[in-house]
Amino acid sequence: MKGNGVTGNANPLRRVGALVDGARDWWEHAKAWQRYAVYLGAVVFALILPAPAIGTFMSPGSDWTTVLIYPIGTYILLAVGLNVVVGQAGLLDLGFVAFFAMGGYSVAYFGTEYGWNYWATAVMGIAMAAVSGVILGAPTLRLRGDYLAIVTLGFGEIVRITANNTDEIGGARGITNVPHPTDIPGVVDFGLLPAPYYYLIVIAIVLVIIFSVRLQKSRVGRAWAAIREDEDAAELMGVPTFKFKLLAFAIGAMIGGLAGGLHAGRAVFIEPNTFPFILSATILAAVVLGGAGNLPGVILGAFVIAWLPERFREVNWLKDLLGRDPAEYRILLFGGVLVLMMALRPEGLLPSRRRKAELHEGTGGMGTMGAEVTGPDTDVSTEAAK
Amino acid sequence: MSTPVLQLDNVTMRFGGVVALREAKISIAPGEIFALIGPNGAGKTTVFNVVTGVYQPTEGQVLFNGTRIDGTKRFKITKLGIARTFQNIRLFHNMSALENVMVGADAHHKTGAIGATLNLPWHRKEEKRGRELARELLDFVGIPGRMTETAKNLPYGDQRRLEIARALATDPKLLLLDEPAAGMNPAEKEALQALIRKIRDSGRTVLLIEHDMSLVMGVSDRVAVLDFGQLIAEGLPHEVQTNPRVIEAYLGVSEDAS
Repeated sequence: MKGNGVTGNANPLRRVGALVDGARDWWEHAKAWQRYAVYLGAVVFALILPAPAIGTFMSPGSDWTTVLIYPIGTYILLAVGLNVVVGQAGLLDLGFVAFFAMGGYSVAYFGTEYGWNYWATAVMGIAMAAVSGVILGAPTLRLRGDYLAIVTLGFGEIVRITANNTDEIGGARGITNVPHPTDIPGVVDFGLLPAPYYYLIVIAIVLVIIFSVRLQKSRVGRAWAAIREDEDAAELMGVPTFKFKLLAFAIGAMIGGLAGGLHAGRAVFIEPNTFPFILSATILAAVVLGGAGNLPGVILGAFVIAWLPERFREVNWLKDLLGRDPAEYRILLFGGVLVLMMALRPEGLLPSRRRKAELHEGTGGMGTMGAEVTGPDTDVSTEAAK
Repeated sequence: MSTPVLQLDNVTMRFGGVVALREAKISIAPGEIFALIGPNGAGKTTVFNVVTGVYQPTEGQVLFNGTRIDGTKRFKITKLGIARTFQNIRLFHNMSALENVMVGADAHHKTGAIGATLNLPWHRKEEKRGRELARELLDFVGIPGRMTETAKNLPYGDQRRLEIARALATDPKLLLLDEPAAGMNPAEKEALQALIRKIRDSGRTVLLIEHDMSLVMGVSDRVAVLDFGQLIAEGLPHEVQTNPRVIEAYLGVSEDAS
């Protein structure tokens, strides 16, 4: 809107941005078969992604398939979950890691203490995460904006510290010997090789994406969008806003719990420090960096956030340049790249058009009811914006 | 006489020391077009906010079809059958016109997360019905062919119509219109007048706040006048027009303008 289409051509990254926006326009008008072709392409891409040929470039320092599971796959799963809360319902959650922990600890605890089947513990983990989401949300979702962010931040820490101080679940030592997923005879054996876990997490991501898209297109997604834009107006149009915000929290939590369960089943060992606050912040950064509310953007954001620090472990030209191992500087490099990307695409790498417009407006709709004195300026500006 | 659709029973609304509404008594019969007029700051929008549950009255009762509704949650009041528009347009600006109206239609839908994620048949049926209703209503208010347009890109008058369509989608028995003609040109005002009649003829009751006197006098069955939170007159349009208290408070100033 502010002339970046003209002046921006000098900047190569802006040109990439224009290309991306063009792709989004194409997608909006794409026919059904074209979309299915893209879906199919994405699935095929996911299946061949662990190939060593790709791995040598993407992750020269460590095992590529393992990197694809954690952090990449896990971050993507978490980001899609957090996107429901932040991107779709517009609720700022700074303690998302708590639900990841709920899933992880449920799987670990019920698996080691009671010897439950892994898949049962995974379902339990999802349920526990959902319940904790509702317990957190019920008293706090009446708050808005900054207050909600502070409360969720506290919740994330409470869960971690409670785990740290509860001997029943291992205290600071954590839980070891978490059972692997139960083998499905003749189909797949879950052992020490990473490949089965990779395909498992791909299946989880695909399912979660399908559910997320369906929600977005339904009455539920419309209600979330309405709440995000103007909560008061939504309520007055018959949207039970509290119920839908709680639902967003619970669904986000379930996806977080699923990610936690998958992680515990592969990693075999979890401890309170597996779930630090910084992980909440990182996933939120992935959602915002990618473009909150837009699934392809969020997935790309999570990929970039998870992959870059791994990639920076082995950068040979930097090694020559600095004369020492760049691995020590990888987080610094990572930070620099994040700052650069946010400076060049402040709405995110792949923002949804709607979210982009909302960000330009500033507020998410804390407007007035009409009884207060209101100038005509709001209306004039929308008129002038045409 | 049949039960009034809406009855304000000695409603007082106080904000700290400010009395926005003092012992207001209003009674609206089914099928009426009832206009609420008065100078700026007289408490007209406060009436709307009390009726739709935004405020809980300090004293008095609000009855809708004989049932008490003050203290009821806002979305429940909407489901009971009261919908409104806003003085300063409050559409969901970045959603399409169709989606805006569908949000209203969703008020009576039941699909939850499970129905939507599993794409169950009744969910699809509701979506289809909601979309059809939204199309019909956009047609009804006179902005067909604008369905996919983002709400904020619509011309001002069309945004006002879209707000009416969104409110109608909740299937209200009582529709509250807060200055629907504000910012409209004479042709648009005329069309709006016809639209308000059409809404009434479709079996709904209309409560209207409006500053445009020719519209108020042309369309309303009864008029109430508020001044400083107090109801100073009520009656047929021509009765109100000649009431000396009203002329003193309000019409005496704006007669030249209208």
